[in-house]
Amino acid sequence: MTTLTTISNLIHEVIGEDWDLEEEITLDTTFSEDLELESIEFVSLAEKMQAAFGEDVDFVSWLSEKELDEVIDLKVGDVVEFIDACRK
Amino acid sequence: MPQVTANQQELHYQLLGEGGEGDTPCVFAHGLLVDNLSSWYFGAAPVVATKRRALCYDLRGHGLSAHAPEGYDVATCAADLVALLDALELEVVDLAGQSYGALIALRVALEHPERVRRLILCEAPLPPSRLEEMAGVLRADPAELLAMLPDSLREAFTSGKRRAVKAAQRLERLLTQTTLVSDLQAEGDHSDEVLASVQQPTLLLYGEASSCRGVGDRLEQAIPDARLVTLDGGHYLAAERAAEVGRHIQEFLDG
Repeated sequence: MTTLTTISNLIHEVIGEDWDLEEEITLDTTFSEDLELESIEFVSLAEKMQAAFGEDVDFVSWLSEKELDEVIDLKVGDVVEFIDACRK
Repeated sequence: MPQVTANQQELHYQLLGEGGEGDTPCVFAHGLLVDNLSSWYFGAAPVVATKRRALCYDLRGHGLSAHAPEGYDVATCAADLVALLDALELEVVDLAGQSYGALIALRVALEHPERVRRLILCEAPLPPSRLEEMAGVLRADPAELLAMLPDSLREAFTSGKRRAVKAAQRLERLLTQTTLVSDLQAEGDHSDEVLASVQQPTLLLYGEASSCRGVGDRLEQAIPDARLVTLDGGHYLAAERAAEVGRHIQEFLDG
């Protein structure tokens, strides 16, 4: 399974019943603008990603180095790139 | 999602960092209503977690903790926190709180001095009912409350889309279906004598533009071992100046 597919599945789990089936997650999908993810849902997603990708991927530390507006503008592709770089 | 029953409440928490043997974990309490553990979790907590365990938790009725119709007074919230520490077998901790969370941390430090090593009070409002940012809360007026938020936080409630609708529903529920507003109104001040009995080294973090900036000066005078640091920002400092707040807390805990 590609990193993008795994992350898409985890986003589905977090958003749950609110999920709009019309919308396909791509590398260009933004968490804030497109997915309307709440910050507390982002916490759940971070937890699920940590469990899925293991301890080599320190998602929260990576995010903590970013300013708030950078986090708001994050795309799914940014996270995929980060995770793939951690696992090389 | 890690949850634990503490003081008969289901509380959601997140533990960051490994810590070393004998490290003192730092526990983070967030503010009321528009806040949850994410402001610490994506802010200062991971900075602090590079050297010690960092525990963030959602207050009762907030974030992913269970809905609670009552018990938003500082005393009950402090009892929740102590019960959380007991449940997670954390004997001695450093405590950090933002806004109402700072009042909770202060209360635990006063009541259980043996369990709190150091104290970080970020934007503690004393008394909370005097805080201008809370004026909308006391009138149970969500619009007025939201108008006081910095742009970056307000957008999350007012875009009219999914996230904003959910956040506004949660806010509405806390304001109209719980005792939060009356609990907050009834919350008193601490006398200087009580503040003088704070035993822990205390870091006070305040925003220059915050309406409770003056409380920082008062606490620095009244708490024996207190140091005040002011940052460029308003009341929602832990979210607005997350990285800086994290650095100051880390230095304070290392010192």
